[in-house]
Amino acid sequence: MKVLAIAGSNVRRMLRERSNIFFVFIFPLALILLIGAQFGGDVDPVIGLYQADDDQLATAVAEAVDSEDTLDVIRFDTDQELVTAVERGNAQAGLFLPAGMDQSAESGDLIEIGFVSRTDGFGPQVQSVIGAAVSEVMTPVTAAQFAMEKTWASFDEAFAVAKDQEAAAPGLGTEVTAIGEALFPPTLGRFDLGASSQLVLFVFLTALAGSAALILSRQLGISRRMLSTPTATGTIVIGEGTGRWAVAMVQGIYIILATFLIFRVDWGDPLGALLILVTFSAVGAGAGMLMGAVFSNDAQASGIGVVLSLGLAALGGCMLPVELFSPTMQKVAHITPHAWALDGFAELVRRDGTVVDILPELGVLVAYATVLLVLAAWRLRVALTRS
Amino acid sequence: MGPATRIATKDLKLRIRDRSAFILGIFAPLVLAVIFNFVFGGALNAESLDLRFGLVDLDDSEVSRGFWEILSGAESEELLVLTDFEDAAGAEAAVEEGEIDAYYLIDPGMHAAVEAGEEFEIRIVGDVDAPTSTQIAASIAEQFGAGVAGVQLSVATSVALLEGSPPPEIAVWGEEAAARAPSYVLDDATTETRQLDATTYFSAGMAVFFLFFTVQFGVIGLLEEQRDGTMARLLAAPIRRTSVIAAKALLSSWLGIISLSILILATHYLLDASWGPPLGVTLLVMAGVLSAVAIMGLVGSVAQTPEGAGNLGAIIAVVLGMLGGTFFPIGQGDDLLSKLTYLTPHAWFMRGLAEISGGAEWTAALPAVGALLIFALVLGSIAWALMRRRITA
Repeated sequence: MKVLAIAGSNVRRMLRERSNIFFVFIFPLALILLIGAQFGGDVDPVIGLYQADDDQLATAVAEAVDSEDTLDVIRFDTDQELVTAVERGNAQAGLFLPAGMDQSAESGDLIEIGFVSRTDGFGPQVQSVIGAAVSEVMTPVTAAQFAMEKTWASFDEAFAVAKDQEAAAPGLGTEVTAIGEALFPPTLGRFDLGASSQLVLFVFLTALAGSAALILSRQLGISRRMLSTPTATGTIVIGEGTGRWAVAMVQGIYIILATFLIFRVDWGDPLGALLILVTFSAVGAGAGMLMGAVFSNDAQASGIGVVLSLGLAALGGCMLPVELFSPTMQKVAHITPHAWALDGFAELVRRDGTVVDILPELGVLVAYATVLLVLAAWRLRVALTRS
Repeated sequence: MGPATRIATKDLKLRIRDRSAFILGIFAPLVLAVIFNFVFGGALNAESLDLRFGLVDLDDSEVSRGFWEILSGAESEELLVLTDFEDAAGAEAAVEEGEIDAYYLIDPGMHAAVEAGEEFEIRIVGDVDAPTSTQIAASIAEQFGAGVAGVQLSVATSVALLEGSPPPEIAVWGEEAAARAPSYVLDDATTETRQLDATTYFSAGMAVFFLFFTVQFGVIGLLEEQRDGTMARLLAAPIRRTSVIAAKALLSSWLGIISLSILILATHYLLDASWGPPLGVTLLVMAGVLSAVAIMGLVGSVAQTPEGAGNLGAIIAVVLGMLGGTFFPIGQGDDLLSKLTYLTPHAWFMRGLAEISGGAEWTAALPAVGALLIFALVLGSIAWALMRRRITA
């Protein structure tokens, strides 16, 4: 009973603080929304397009580039704006359609279409996509010019015939197939990846931030007063641990429910997701309690807590999926409990796993939690009884 | 030394002795910049795609060799790496092993189909996890196909215009059309860069993110003096209240400048971050610190208690930092987010650094410096007025 009372007061203290409401409940969702908006959708290269006049050819090329679905096309009013956008990385490459293309095509002058990219970006590769779109429009022009030389027909006449003859010149088509198992299947929603990473990041962050509350309890003498009542040290230690764990669970369940209801995030097997949350929250609670026992200045503990939780989250793949790390870094990542929790969620969501499939991940998390909680209980017992 | 400087110096000594300013101002941003650089640097600095394609040429004809020439031309320009395979099974195994991203499969009969004007497809088989590379592989083949179509169309158009009486030299028209200069060229040019590389991005992002926490110490100090009753004693001395406010603003600015300077030097020497011309960076640091002091001063002037100021300040700092793109770039192209981000001083600070990072003059940072000073001036004035009203004898 006393354990629950101590745990309950921890949860209540957390909920009373208005800034906690923001960091625990509002901010994670806002971040999931922001990340979904930023990265979740198509990550197609952005191409800037500047068209000097409304010649038919220029318009046709612009439309052909526009209809490439691997590119996001933005139009610019001046060529300088487009160059600046490419320099700043707002566009990966820029396409400049010169003035008087119709006239040049007729007189047989070489049409110089400008293409600007950066050496360090996708530019050179994007060029082949753009090149294909441009040549689709310009091929009849080239053919008409050739035919003019051979037959003395006018350009307009030859161009019209060339357009008619396109069916007789199929060129070569392409047929694209993909093989292998998709790392991120197309059914993965735009918020799905961000939701589980942010859940893991924030549950751990909040748990470590809880260390400041624990230090405050000791500073203000709450712990000492509890000890003066007929309450065993062990009860206080277990109560504080349960409190930290409960706070993490409240936040975790909230994030799972809210993202499911608002963003329709798929969490896979509910029991599996809950078990990952239960074990990972215990890891967080252990880490938070250990910090609360080891540090004696709450401002320092919060600072270190932020560094630790953001640093481990980055290493563990909460900010960039661990699948995109180098093989060595993937091994390093699995030093963190975060990577194991994320692996578990990935198994549930992307491969429709069940509890049985995530047993290895759960096992590792339980091991982390046990070590941290035992260590924390020992240090906290020492810290409580020393003063 | 005026009273403001004296108070600020005393506070600075106190803050240096208490390690929390060091943790938030230097330790946290530096450690995180190192970790982020370590974890993401490799993935993000190699921005250019690594294209590895395979080719299975079962046609082995003049046309298919033409395609091979285009691919090896691209290889010699270091745009891609090409591997030849004997058969599709070998190439497929290479894709599954992750050795190549995609391979081209040219079935027998390409040459014959091209001559006869019949449809023919180059097959591209790509790794499902390398959609962009596969798409680029397809584009190269499409471009080659378009070239073939150009030759076919040139001949077909000429024949159609002659209405049924092709001259004997039609036999060589195909070769002539293939050799003829095209009607257009795609002029390739590269631009300079006005964007931070990954290392500098993380260093700058973490530095400015934690700057807003660091400058809080001065503001919170002011509220603590009020809570602890030392403010009344200060005002009883021959010190004007504006001096007390100025002292705390001065302390905040000093802490900000010290932490940013140490971070810039440390990341420059430890991580090889490239911050650009010193004069431009110095101006950005000054203006950035002033804008941070102004915003946190405003937070302090509306908060009731030091704890309240700390909590509200943390919320403001985190929201502005996220929106300002200190953790990851915000906005793509010209969408709403890329406009909203410039409502934060963080975005202007990062933008100013980006403008001067690629070899531009320090003056390129001036628009960003101006924007930061506007934040500092407008919000700082409001904060100053509110603080003055709040601190009464």
